[in-house]
Amino acid sequence: MSIKDLSKEKKDTINLSRRSFMAGSVKTSLFMAFGASAIPSILSAKEAIENKSFSPSVWFEMDTQGRVTVNIAKAEMGQHVGTALARILADELECEWDKVSIVHVDTDPKWGYMVTGGSWSVFQTYKPMSQAGAAGRQVLLNAGATLLGEPVSNCKANAGFVVSGTKKVSYGDIVAKGNIDKVYSADELESLPIKPGNKKHLIGLGNEYKALDIPPKTNGTAIYGIDVEVDNMLYARPILPPTRYGSKVTKVDDSQAKSLPGYKGYKVLSDPSGTIEGWVAVLASDYPTAIKAIDKVKVSYNAGKSVNVNEADIQEEGERICRDRSEGTLFVDEGNIQNAAKQAAESIEALYTTATASHFQLEPLNAIAEFKEGKWHIHTGNQWQGLTLPAVAKAAEVPDSDVVVHQYYLGGGFGRRLFGDWIIPAVLTAKAAGQPVKMLFMRPDDTMFDQPRSASTSLFNAYFDDSGNFTGMEHALAAGWPTLAMAPSFMPDGVDGKGKVDPFSASGADHWYTMQHHQARVINNKVAQDTFTPGWLRSVGQGWIVWGLESFIDEVAYKANQNPVDFRLSMLDGKGKQAGKAPESVGGATRLAHTLKKLKDKTANVELGENEGIGFSVTAGQERTMPAWLATAAHVHVDKNSGKITLKKLWVVADAGIIVHPDGAMAQMEGALLWGTSLALFEHNEIKNGYVAKKNLTTYQPLRMNDVPDMDIEFIESNEFPVGLGEPGVIGVAPAVGNAVYNAVGVRLRNLPMLSSDVKKALNA
Amino acid sequence: MITMIEFTLNGKKVQTDAASDTPLVWVIRDEFGLKGTKFGCGVAMCGVCTVHIDGNAIRSCSYPVSLVNGKQVNTIESLNNEHPLQSAWVEEQVPQCGYCQSGQIMQAATLLDSNPNPSDQDIVNHMNGNYCRCMAYTRIKKAIKRAATSTVQHYDPKASSEGENA
Repeated sequence: MSIKDLSKEKKDTINLSRRSFMAGSVKTSLFMAFGASAIPSILSAKEAIENKSFSPSVWFEMDTQGRVTVNIAKAEMGQHVGTALARILADELECEWDKVSIVHVDTDPKWGYMVTGGSWSVFQTYKPMSQAGAAGRQVLLNAGATLLGEPVSNCKANAGFVVSGTKKVSYGDIVAKGNIDKVYSADELESLPIKPGNKKHLIGLGNEYKALDIPPKTNGTAIYGIDVEVDNMLYARPILPPTRYGSKVTKVDDSQAKSLPGYKGYKVLSDPSGTIEGWVAVLASDYPTAIKAIDKVKVSYNAGKSVNVNEADIQEEGERICRDRSEGTLFVDEGNIQNAAKQAAESIEALYTTATASHFQLEPLNAIAEFKEGKWHIHTGNQWQGLTLPAVAKAAEVPDSDVVVHQYYLGGGFGRRLFGDWIIPAVLTAKAAGQPVKMLFMRPDDTMFDQPRSASTSLFNAYFDDSGNFTGMEHALAAGWPTLAMAPSFMPDGVDGKGKVDPFSASGADHWYTMQHHQARVINNKVAQDTFTPGWLRSVGQGWIVWGLESFIDEVAYKANQNPVDFRLSMLDGKGKQAGKAPESVGGATRLAHTLKKLKDKTANVELGENEGIGFSVTAGQERTMPAWLATAAHVHVDKNSGKITLKKLWVVADAGIIVHPDGAMAQMEGALLWGTSLALFEHNEIKNGYVAKKNLTTYQPLRMNDVPDMDIEFIESNEFPVGLGEPGVIGVAPAVGNAVYNAVGVRLRNLPMLSSDVKKALNA
Repeated sequence: MITMIEFTLNGKKVQTDAASDTPLVWVIRDEFGLKGTKFGCGVAMCGVCTVHIDGNAIRSCSYPVSLVNGKQVNTIESLNNEHPLQSAWVEEQVPQCGYCQSGQIMQAATLLDSNPNPSDQDIVNHMNGNYCRCMAYTRIKKAIKRAATSTVQHYDPKASSEGENA
């Protein structure tokens, strides 16, 4: 499937895939689900449900107490996704919220293609969940009206009852008494009324409610992958080779480990899927013994080629391919940038870079692999089962249908748990041992096997006419590409047809400014690509691409003698392709301009002390087909002696359409802003001799509580289609901080993170 | 010869024959099956493994089991879902992924034991070693303040944390 197919599928999903909807009494419950395919079924609703012939993308049931169980095929990793999705359903169903519960499902193929990432969940599920709820309500209304002996037109659904005047019957009683068997065709479903955003009573701003997954996360009862045990399992810890790719084991000597009580030997792993090379796993009857045994098992290798690669090599290659216009492929080509360059009276150029950064999700990678009754059962927390499961099956040399991934809470995802490559060594070890294995990565193992955010290089040129007016921008951007490494079939062609594009290493360069001439050329950095597996890290490409873009826009504004905020507003005119498309980006750049104007007003009277400044950015993550419109402002202080940047306050004005779970959205935004801060000022993990140099928190130092700035977050009241919010808050912080530093002390920082040493160097230059 | 190590875990006398250098976290999790205490970094830098040993917040990933001999160990499970911090955590909707939260709550409980009405700076000083990758720091701070307020008004801080219900 290409990314175009993926976006088409997303669109089809939000448009319900033109499927029928079924409601049927089965035993003592009422089941409701979409039809299995776009082709109408000849089965009745009850028959189809009894045969499990339905699409489980939305599937829920109601019992005789009126309790509703909603099945969620999305990973829970802190975003409270099940609560948000169930809330959409319950709003239309008119059931009581305190009777709703959620179940996270395993990877039966019946669940369809499973992925949780890209900030897509609410966006994709909003319309089908709403329509499922509306259809369910209609079924209950019809059945309730019959029980009340009233025409349906005299009845309404309210808080778990069907009501007609003074008579009423509860949903639970309808389920108990009703013999419901109803199929809505796709057309009938489309014509069912869905409440407009401002008529929703359970969702939207002003709705206070609590996430269903929070209580077990306050008392130790939430079960993560690391907490699972199965009978008769061995514990395993991996020994990682000297390079991510291409290393071979030549000799293993475990003579010193044999005296350890509980030591159960080692396995040299051979991976038919080609995901891992040169791995050894150590086995023990308990995990502490496996930890210890690692130091006593001596492995010799033929190391892979990347054993001498350092961060500087990646940056050097990045700059080379950005400057060489024959490299890469075009992602945006508007106007004629060559002419703009030729006719320019003046131009400016800037090179922006970011360092390699690690996920550092707190639950270290782990998986249990158990072969039972002819199938591989995997216990782990995973974000992208649709991508992971086939690779696991290939490694185990079984058909996809013989692998089941059992899902648990994720102790942080942030993109690291999309492609579940860590499952493969667990399966191979269990297969070799002929016994269930729980493989747990110690923290340095986890960090070395991370899929880090690649170091990146972005080269900008801006052109100006002889009146000093800005005429166009040329943008070249290079990095290791996660999608090329892990899901290459999801890559579309560039606009010049010269090659493929990783949309997750390009999105953001296709910004919402109207520019006469604009070109963006994307290039894969092969030195990075061959050294490690580049990862999707929260906000992915936008995180480093828009850092450069929004910093450079300030540079362009100053060159054109304009205030950076007004300069942005003048280019956010919503004309042509920047007008947006209904429903997801309706309003286009004018909505982005609206957030920036509000933010400008909000920050108009901020008092700035000496060596303090305020900077702005606008962002529209994660994609043009799903933009959350954000304006961000940062207030910084710069200590001119030490170079230390203190982020005093962040403001965000966000328009993300209907806010389905307001407190959850706020939590996502708070976390995302602090992630943005951490990546702007603290996190860097340079490649040294083929691996990230910092293996643990002793040296890798993300933001902690004492670094938290004040935050002022405002969501705009909107009735537009809801978009994703898990990542977009990350993007705007770094450029807003960089622009603020420039406004504070006149120094332009062009490398992330912005370290005090760089500030000092620039101040003294 | 195997030496048995004896200690009190959540109010109950227990013994283990684990090797003396075994980090306490694995004994708690894998031998006694209390999975609420998590493992994160293994070097006492993240705090997800925080438990109480004789009333002090200790990183169990770096604490050899031999040192707990004769001591009182309390884990998140000992709070019995009755600690004011736990309800404050729900009220403020603190957890996102939730993985660090047992450790955050155990760390915060020792703050309220000694300082029932902490200032913002007291909270930061006490909590700064506990890492939250979802970065729910603002809410952690708010929840501690909420629990502190309720502790002052409704709760005997001396009885607040050490597993009196265990």
